[in-house]
Amino acid sequence: MSELREPAFDRVVALVLRVGAFSCFFVMLAGLLIGLFGYGRIAAELERAGVLLMLATPVVRVLVAGILFLRERDWKYGAISFGVLTILLLGGLFGIGEH
Amino acid sequence: MLSALLVVLGFFAGLLGALTGIGGGILLSPILALHFGIPIRQAIGTSLVAVITTSAASSSVHLQRHTTDIRLGMTLELATALGAAVTAYLVGYFNRNWLEGIFAGFLLYSSITILWRGGKVKNEELPAQNGGETVIPPYEPERYPLGLAASLLAGGLSGLLGIGGGPIKVPVMYLFMNVPLMVATATSNFMIGVTAAASAVVYYRRGDILVELAAPLAVGVFLGSLLGARMAPRIQTKYVVYLLVAIMLYLAGHLCVHLLTGGTA
Repeated sequence: MSELREPAFDRVVALVLRVGAFSCFFVMLAGLLIGLFGYGRIAAELERAGVLLMLATPVVRVLVAGILFLRERDWKYGAISFGVLTILLLGGLFGIGEH
Repeated sequence: MLSALLVVLGFFAGLLGALTGIGGGILLSPILALHFGIPIRQAIGTSLVAVITTSAASSSVHLQRHTTDIRLGMTLELATALGAAVTAYLVGYFNRNWLEGIFAGFLLYSSITILWRGGKVKNEELPAQNGGETVIPPYEPERYPLGLAASLLAGGLSGLLGIGGGPIKVPVMYLFMNVPLMVATATSNFMIGVTAAASAVVYYRRGDILVELAAPLAVGVFLGSLLGARMAPRIQTKYVVYLLVAIMLYLAGHLCVHLLTGGTA
């Protein structure tokens, strides 16, 4: 079953993405500007925070959609969302190690 | 000064990406590798951050138009995320020459398919308008096994080369899964963020995302794609597409020369 007409659902997921993209943009921009004034360490920390925020945004998006599905008692798509979440988290675990 | 250069590079890649509908990520990795002396694996990891930024910003717009099929996207993401995480992991064992060779091949393939279609890359069709609201005919996605297999392939390619994989997913959803083109485009865009994140976490843990380069690039790409999205409806994009193809062919050629001369050119 595919339902496109769920304005509230779409709006919440869109909000997660927009907040993620804009906050990451401003954190990175702040890092770049502070770097211009020679505060290298703070700048580097802000840039790292921006990158981590960007990597976290899709993960949060999947989590939020999963919770919304469960609240609608849509167990099938709730389970699918948490499956995707598991793959994302496992990827982070298995990425460890030098090559 | 390096940061300023990267912001400008990201800006033009984002602008070209938004104008043509082809993600700018395909340009960033080879340029970082060839002109900034970054090893190709780190170049791919670093441009993944910009790919996620673009997807998040653009799919939030699609979501507000209610053209994204979240259920379909989430289902296919099972396959794209798996494929992306696996190849991102395997890339750690690849040698640099293989990666550069595969990348050059992919650039060449993409250029040829674009030229074949006469420079038409935009998959957008005009939605039927009904009192200002987008109207999508009812549909039921079909042939999930085929869609999942294609998504696995698209995800694998994404984890390998740091690209979105839209050129695989959109036609499969549209032609084989009975999904309207506008929905297929929006849903593919929606999936790119999660797909890229699945490989990006692996690259990050391995130290293959150079944060000091990723931040200025992502800032530039963000601004460039915002401007591009505003300009796109108003300008003749055909010539922009040919410019993009020219850059892609140049990068493919340069990668081959780089390979043959053992990295001295």
